[in-house]
Amino acid sequence: MTVPTGAAPAGAAPRHRAWAPLYGALTAAVRALLLLVAVSAVVFAATALLPGDAAEIRASPGATTEEVRALRAELGQEAGPLRLYADWAGGVLRGDPGVSLVNGRPVLDAVAQRLPATATLVGAALALAAPAMLLLGWWAGTARRGRGAATALLTGAAAVPTAVTAAGLAALLSGVLGLVPAVSLLPPGQAPVHSPELLVLPVLSMALPTALFGGGLLAGAVADTASRPHVADARRRGRSPWAVAAVDVLPFLLAPFLRVLAVSAGGLIAAATVVETLFGYPGLGSLLVSSIASRDTPVIQAVAVSAAAVVLAGTALADAVAGGTDPRGRAW
Amino acid sequence: MRRRSLLAALCAATLAASGCSGDGDAPAGADQGSTLRYAAVGAPAATTNDPHGRVANEADYLRFAMLYDVLTVLDERGGAVPRLAESWEPEGEDLTHWHVALREDAAFSDGTPVTADDVLFSLRRIQGKGAENNGRLSMFDLEASAASGEHGLDLVTHQPYAEVGAALASLTFVVPEGSDDITEPVPGSGPYVLDRADDTTAVLSRNADWWGPAGGADRLEVTAMPDPAARAAAVASGQADVAGSVAPATAEQYAGDGGVEVVTRPGGVNYPLVMDLETEPFDDPAVREAVKLALDREALVDTVFLGYGEPGADLVAPSEPFAPRAEPVARDLERARALLEEAGHGDGVSLTLHATNSYPGMEEAAVLVSEQLSEAGIEVTVEVGPPDTYWTEVWNVEPFYLNSLGGNGFVDFSRMALLADGPINETGWNDGEWDADFHRALATADEGERHALLADLQQRLADDGGYVVWGLGDGIDLTASGVTGLPTGPGFHRLRIEEAEVSG
Repeated sequence: MTVPTGAAPAGAAPRHRAWAPLYGALTAAVRALLLLVAVSAVVFAATALLPGDAAEIRASPGATTEEVRALRAELGQEAGPLRLYADWAGGVLRGDPGVSLVNGRPVLDAVAQRLPATATLVGAALALAAPAMLLLGWWAGTARRGRGAATALLTGAAAVPTAVTAAGLAALLSGVLGLVPAVSLLPPGQAPVHSPELLVLPVLSMALPTALFGGGLLAGAVADTASRPHVADARRRGRSPWAVAAVDVLPFLLAPFLRVLAVSAGGLIAAATVVETLFGYPGLGSLLVSSIASRDTPVIQAVAVSAAAVVLAGTALADAVAGGTDPRGRAW
Repeated sequence: MRRRSLLAALCAATLAASGCSGDGDAPAGADQGSTLRYAAVGAPAATTNDPHGRVANEADYLRFAMLYDVLTVLDERGGAVPRLAESWEPEGEDLTHWHVALREDAAFSDGTPVTADDVLFSLRRIQGKGAENNGRLSMFDLEASAASGEHGLDLVTHQPYAEVGAALASLTFVVPEGSDDITEPVPGSGPYVLDRADDTTAVLSRNADWWGPAGGADRLEVTAMPDPAARAAAVASGQADVAGSVAPATAEQYAGDGGVEVVTRPGGVNYPLVMDLETEPFDDPAVREAVKLALDREALVDTVFLGYGEPGADLVAPSEPFAPRAEPVARDLERARALLEEAGHGDGVSLTLHATNSYPGMEEAAVLVSEQLSEAGIEVTVEVGPPDTYWTEVWNVEPFYLNSLGGNGFVDFSRMALLADGPINETGWNDGEWDADFHRALATADEGERHALLADLQQRLADDGGYVVWGLGDGIDLTASGVTGLPTGPGFHRLRIEEAEVSG
C-alpha cells in the first residue's frame, strides 16, 4: 500500500502528487468553512429556540406588548429567524457582525476587548497540559501491568466537572495554602500576563482535566506504537530505552498528539465559560454566558463562531502537519 | 515536536514560578491619592452607557450616580433632599404645576454649564424610554412642561402630585441636551469624571469642579462581578475595598475575619409572597389572611437572612418616613386553619409557589414557606425557575410566587402596582376607594396630613392585599478595614458613594 518514495513511476503520477497537497488543502478549507456555517446556523437556531428574546428581556416587567414590539423594532429584530439569520450572515460577509442588542456596542469591540484574556488563559492551559498529557499517556500506555486500569483512572479523573476541579483547587491553593487569590479580577487596563498570580487558579482548573483527558486518549496510541515490530526490533538491537522512545516511538505519536491538542483547545474554550464565571475573570467565556442570558444574538454568534473557527483551524493544522510528517509515509 | 513540547514545558514552568511568587506590580497611578475599589453586582456583558434605558447592573447605576448629577437624592430616612434642584414648589392650588429652581454653578465635564434645557431634555429622554425603565417619570406631562430661564423649570403633572421631590430623586441623570444616542459615555456634571472604562471596570477620578462638598476618594474603580461569593473573595484577598450585596452566609463567614467589615443597609432585601387576588383561592380574603397567619416570620428571617433582617408586617414600603408603625404578624396556626375551614378549604388546599435562584436566599425562603404553610393545611409545591425568563413567564403571570422588591418608594410603587390601572398590578389589587384616597393624598399639600393618609393606605394594603411581606433582609456590603462613609439608608440611598473614603 505504501508507495516507496524513491521509485515513483514517471508520467501523470508525480504531477498529480504535486497538486495533491493543494487539492487536499482546498477541500479541507471548504469543509472547515461549511462546518463553520453549520455551527453558526445551529447556534443561531438554539438561541432562537430559547424562551424570550432580547427585546422582552430588555423591556422592563411592566412594559406593554406594544412597547415591547416597538423596542424590538428599534433593535431591528422584528423579522423572522430565517431573515434575521440571513441579515446577520450578510453582515458578517461584509465584515460587520453587528452591534450588541443590550448596549449598542459594536460586537467586534466587545470581542476584541476580551479576546486577549481568554487567549492567555487557553494558551497557558494548553502549554501546561500538552507536555503533561504526553507524559500521562506514556505512563498509562507503557504500564507493564494494569494498563487498562491506568487509562480508566485518567478517563475517570478527566470526567470530573470543571466546576468541581476549580472549586477544589481554589479550596486547596487559596483556602488552605493561601498561595493565590480565590478570584481573578484583572486590574483595569492591564494585560493578564502582568498579574500571573491571578492566572494560576483558572489555568490549573482548565489544564488539569485537559491533561488527564488527553493522556487517556494518547495512552492507546502509545501502546499501539510501542508494540510495533520495529520497536521490539530496536530494543533487540540494544538501543537504549531513551533512544527507542525518541527515535522509534515519538515520531509516530506526533499526528495523534496534534489531533488531541486541537480537540483539547475546543474543550478548553468550553471550560473557559465555567472557569471565567467562577473566578470573575473577564474573558470571552463569561461574555458568552451573560450574552446568552440576555439573548444578545450578535454577541453569542460572534463568540461561538470564533471559538468554532479556532478548533477547526487547529484540526486542519493538525491534519496538515500529520499528513506531512507521518513517518509511515503518505497513503495515497 | 520534542523541541516544541520542551518549549511548552519551559513556558509552563516559568508561568508557575512567576505565578506563585505572588505580589504583582502596583497599577500605575495608584500613588496619586486614595482609590476606592468597589466590586458591584453586575454581568459585564450587560454593561451599558445609557443611564436612561434598561440598566441591569448595579455597577452601572453606581457609575451613573457618580458621573451624572440628579435633581434630588434621598437621605438616610428616605426623604428627598436637594441636589441639582435647589427647590421644588407648587404654583397654584392644585399641585399640578411645579417650579423647580436649579443650581447655577453646575457644569458638565467639558466645561459647558448645566442649564434647564439639558435637564428638560434628560427628563424627556427618560420618559421616552419608559418601556425599558418601568415607566419612570410617567406622572409628568413633559410636553406641557418648559424651561423658565437658564436655571428654572416649570413642570406639569398629569394629576395633582404632592411628592414631586421624591419623583425626581436618584435616577434623573442629567446629560447634555442633544445626547440622543448614548452608546458611548457622554459628559456629566457629577462628583466624578470618567477616566477610562471597559465593560468590566470603570475608572473614575474626583471632579475638582463639582459644586458639591469635597471629600470622598480621589479615584473610584467600579468593577462588575456577577458572582456574590467572588465579590466577597475579592475583598478578602485585597483585590477590592468594597463588595456590594453579598449573601448573609458570606457575611457570617467573614464576620469574624479581622480584615473584613460587614456594613448593613436595613430593609435592602424584600422577597414578598405575591398572591393574585383574581385567581382562586386567593380571591377569598379569608385564604389570604390564613396564609399571612400561617407563616413563622421569625424562623424565616433567621433561616433566610441568618438574622440580618427583621420580621415583616406585610408593609410593602416599611422604610418610608411615613410608613405606619405596625408589629410583625404573629403566627397563629389555629386561626389560619379556622379561616381555611370557613372558606370551604377544610380538607386542604394545593398550591404551586414559584421562585427563582438568582437572588440569594429566595429559594430557601420558598422551601421554608412551603413547610410552614403545610402545617396549616396548605400543601405547596415549590417550583424554581431560571432567572432569565422569570420576569416574562412567572412574574405577573402565575398566581403565587416570590417577587424581589427594592428601591422604589411607596408612592411610585402604588402608581405602578396598586392602582387598578397600574401597568404592573401583579396582585390584581382593585379597590376604587383605595385609589380615590391615593389621589386625595397626592392632592394634599400639607405634609403631615398627606403622610397620615399614605400611612393608612399602606396599612389597608397590608391587611387585605396580595403582598405577604414576611421579612426584610439587610442589604449587606463587605468592606476592607479603613473604608468609611458608605451609604446605609434605604432604597437608592445605596448609590451615594461619593462620600466614601478609604485610608491606608
